[in-house]
Amino acid sequence: MSTTVVSAAETDSNTRSQHLMSGDQTNFLNDIQDHVTVGTCFSENAKMSIKNVSVFYGNKQAIFDASVDITENQVIAMIGPSGCGKSTLLRSLNRMNDTIEGCRVKGHISMDGQDLYSPKLDVVELRARVGMVFQKPNPFPKSIYDNVAYGPKIHGLTDSRYELDEIVEESLRRAGLWDEVRDRLQQPGTGLSGGQQQRLCIARAIAVSPEVILMDEPCSALDPIATARIEELIEELSQNFTIAIVTHNMQQAARVSHRTAYFHLGKLIEVNPTEQVFTMPEHNLTESYITGRFG
Amino acid sequence: MSIKKTFEVFLAITLVLSLAATTSARENIEVVGSSTVYPFSTVVAERYGRSSGKATPKIESTGSGGGMKLFCSGIGTQFPDITNSSRRMKKSEFNQCQKNGVSEIVEVQVGFDGLVMANSVESPVMKLSRKEIFLALAAKVPGDKEGELIDNPYMTWKQINESFPDDKIEVLGPPPTSGTRDAFVELAMEGGCKAIPWLAAMEKTDKRAFKSICHTIREDGHFIEAGENDNLIVQKLQANPKALGIFGFSFLDQNADSVHGAFIEEVAPEFDSIADKSYPVSRPLYFYVKKAHVGVVPGIQGFLDEFTSEKAWGEEGYLAEKGMIPLSTEQRRLTGKNTRALLPMTGDEPLK
Amino acid sequence: MSKPSRNLERIQRSLVSRYRAEKAFRLCGIAAVTLGLLAVLVLFADIFLKGKSAFSATYIQLEINYDQEVLGIDDLSDEGALMLADWDRLHKTALRQEFPQVRKRSERRELYALVSNGAGYDLKERLLSEPELLDQTEKFWILADDDIDTYYKSLLKGRAYTARLSLAQLERVKQLIDQDRIELQFNANFLSRGDSREPEQVGIKGAMFGSFFTLVITLLLSFPIGIAAAIYLEEFAEKNRWTEFIEVNINNLAAVPSIIFGLLGLAIFINFFNVPRSIPFLGGLVLAVMTLPTIIITSRAAIKSVPPSIREAALGLGASPNQVVLHYVVPLAMPGMLTGSIIGMARALGETAPLLMIGMVAFIADVPGGFTDPATVLPVQIFLWADSPERAFIEKTSAAIMVLLAFLITMNLSAVWLRKKLERRW
Repeated sequence: MSTTVVSAAETDSNTRSQHLMSGDQTNFLNDIQDHVTVGTCFSENAKMSIKNVSVFYGNKQAIFDASVDITENQVIAMIGPSGCGKSTLLRSLNRMNDTIEGCRVKGHISMDGQDLYSPKLDVVELRARVGMVFQKPNPFPKSIYDNVAYGPKIHGLTDSRYELDEIVEESLRRAGLWDEVRDRLQQPGTGLSGGQQQRLCIARAIAVSPEVILMDEPCSALDPIATARIEELIEELSQNFTIAIVTHNMQQAARVSHRTAYFHLGKLIEVNPTEQVFTMPEHNLTESYITGRFG
Repeated sequence: MSIKKTFEVFLAITLVLSLAATTSARENIEVVGSSTVYPFSTVVAERYGRSSGKATPKIESTGSGGGMKLFCSGIGTQFPDITNSSRRMKKSEFNQCQKNGVSEIVEVQVGFDGLVMANSVESPVMKLSRKEIFLALAAKVPGDKEGELIDNPYMTWKQINESFPDDKIEVLGPPPTSGTRDAFVELAMEGGCKAIPWLAAMEKTDKRAFKSICHTIREDGHFIEAGENDNLIVQKLQANPKALGIFGFSFLDQNADSVHGAFIEEVAPEFDSIADKSYPVSRPLYFYVKKAHVGVVPGIQGFLDEFTSEKAWGEEGYLAEKGMIPLSTEQRRLTGKNTRALLPMTGDEPLK
Repeated sequence: MSKPSRNLERIQRSLVSRYRAEKAFRLCGIAAVTLGLLAVLVLFADIFLKGKSAFSATYIQLEINYDQEVLGIDDLSDEGALMLADWDRLHKTALRQEFPQVRKRSERRELYALVSNGAGYDLKERLLSEPELLDQTEKFWILADDDIDTYYKSLLKGRAYTARLSLAQLERVKQLIDQDRIELQFNANFLSRGDSREPEQVGIKGAMFGSFFTLVITLLLSFPIGIAAAIYLEEFAEKNRWTEFIEVNINNLAAVPSIIFGLLGLAIFINFFNVPRSIPFLGGLVLAVMTLPTIIITSRAAIKSVPPSIREAALGLGASPNQVVLHYVVPLAMPGMLTGSIIGMARALGETAPLLMIGMVAFIADVPGGFTDPATVLPVQIFLWADSPERAFIEKTSAAIMVLLAFLITMNLSAVWLRKKLERRW
């Protein structure tokens, strides 16, 4: 594990601190021209690899030349102020950005060495391997059972009803929902509370046994108790799945992730182990964000 | 089944059904033509269908001209078998028929229809001459000098004839698409035109101008086109007692409690007066049959027999009850004989 | 910036006029709704009052002797003899017996005119259903002629319409009334027979079946093609100039006058494909083409209203675009699609103009048995009857309008019910 420290940043940081002291806050935020990401972007057992990726919506560039690895069986949190591009990057990982018109992705994203944007790649297969949980819980207007069973059914993962029942039960247990819904599997998924719905969505996602789970601010619509339960869940899941989570909540990132990536206005500023990011951040922008000077 | 597959299946079903529809032979007689003959033709069709047990002939009211066009389009089950007409076939139509292979046509005159000008029973009966009708309704009328035409200046009936009431001229009549309109301008207006000597002379010298003057009806609001629905005209006359309406005799007959017909040249519009031609505004009714279809489409002979039977078109027959004026006894005998023998038109008939 | 207290004054003053304007607006709205409802009520009341008498008909009770000699029938299964028999003589004889004072030929004709000229067939059916009546006599209620029917009904209303009857006929009717041998009964013909030139025998069944068969074809063709087109255009088609062009054209077609589709039917289906005229199959084809743009437009709107969150959830799980559409978008959009289709069908039910060109505006007395028998539809039947001179057709026309309105209201109610039943919340 090597640290890459850019000396230019150090001398600049004095100038910047001076700016801060002069109260000239907003200026230096837009000041980053050529940035280089600090920290440990790359890792040894990378499940997914992002190299020099830029994402454009039409003419507007949302992500500038980001490079980072997603380590297997670990949780990486992506944090940063609103509109900094973290959701965009997350959605590029399972090519959900394909559904948005005018969205272009440049650079390389690969999983297990396989280029995800090659024309030969079957997107449907990719999404079976890389699951997603969205910000607002969106269970299907079907029964709880059918919600979880949908994925395995369309991917032909089971041969019999019995096997399907097993997968459903397993997924609901893993998601920590089984005890609450075991008696009412045929009731509509939309009848559950917000927190339960989100856990149902998680159960649905893991029912197809993906290799990676992407979570886009999964707790932002939930109350603190539900949030706590899901955070527990994430920790448990990380033993078997690779997880990338986008969150607005720094404390959450601090609680659940192993590595943290900080984004700022579309640029990846710093990637480091979580503990380091929150106690001794390398980049002063990271430090400013974490200490609450902006964002 | 994917969406594309379902598409293809439906397309196939549609095509198959349409083919099936075309290959099945026609069971019923198809009749088109005049809206005036329609009420009579339908009665015969219904009786024939009921008594013979065969399919009831289908009668469409397309207008005399439209019916002729369909009729003369050719021979075959996709073309009509019979066309009704409230005027005799024109020479041009006869030629068209011959050109398209409709060579043997049986002409059958079935009776007469009277055209009446009626008003509400609340107003006095009008006694008109055809000349007065012409002066009331033409677009251009003769001026003071001979040979001079002016835009129709008459606004009230009194201006045409001192003995008429001083009411605004308001006549509800059929639109230009109607055969009734054709008959009215030819019988009533043209008749009135000829009562003016220098116009009558023009018929020989410049026929086109003659027709144009005598057949063109004014468009300044005194003649109101009231659509094809004669029931509507009757209702409007009840609402407006000062107006007159133009329609067939059968409507007068059915609504005798609310409207009465004007005398034309001193003759009241009645069954007998129309039959003996003393009432001057009556027209003959015809239908034409394709001889080539007899025997191919079942039942045409039976239909013709029913139509030309005494119980149908006789003086005491059910068509007379419906308001059709019958032919004379001798005419019935002759026409009936020729029809049953399917005697075709020779082409030497004095067609216009 | 003005002082807060002055601001408050100005706000309070403006509130007065604002509330007044709002009240006026509300009153306008109420007035508009009331006027609309009033117009509908007046229309319905007028039609109902004119039409309800059509469901009853005047019957005269006569003593009918099913005289075997008069009929000339030995065996009731002999079809030929049945057809040749003079059934009318049965009621003519009965009338003569009832009124023996009538001698002269012209008076006799007037007497016979009291009874419908189709009554003979009713007697035939009566005898066939009760064969033991042969050579027996019974008191039978026989259908009266439409002139008698009009007179009797107007008499009961208090404004007797006597213009079509002679004095002698009025006398006879008075006699029958005194003897309680004339009364109104349920008009069995109206719902069981097809078109006729005799108002007392006319029925709406032919037009009802014609409408039914036509609408079945219309539904079978326009619904699948319409929603398939909407799904394709909304979900699968690329957004380029071609698809925009198609969309503009579909929107325009929805506004095209319906008679144009009749011309299309004439030119292509009749002249090119040689489909026979006047059959429900052809009528269905023409109306399907007419309804298609409406269904496509409403279906597209229904598809657009499916929340993108459901689509994303399905995509995220690895469903292919086809599966997203089939498993989620279509079922969720279905209520809207169905509602749009039923409203399109209701419009097709009331169309007359396009059918004019393809020969369905015609006198067709037989009740159609299938998709390839000549037929007419309810609005056309109303149009044809409105044109007939006989007085008695006025009530029949109004009754037919009531039947058509009943159909339309049923269809629209079922659209509402379907939507309520299938609506989901999320």
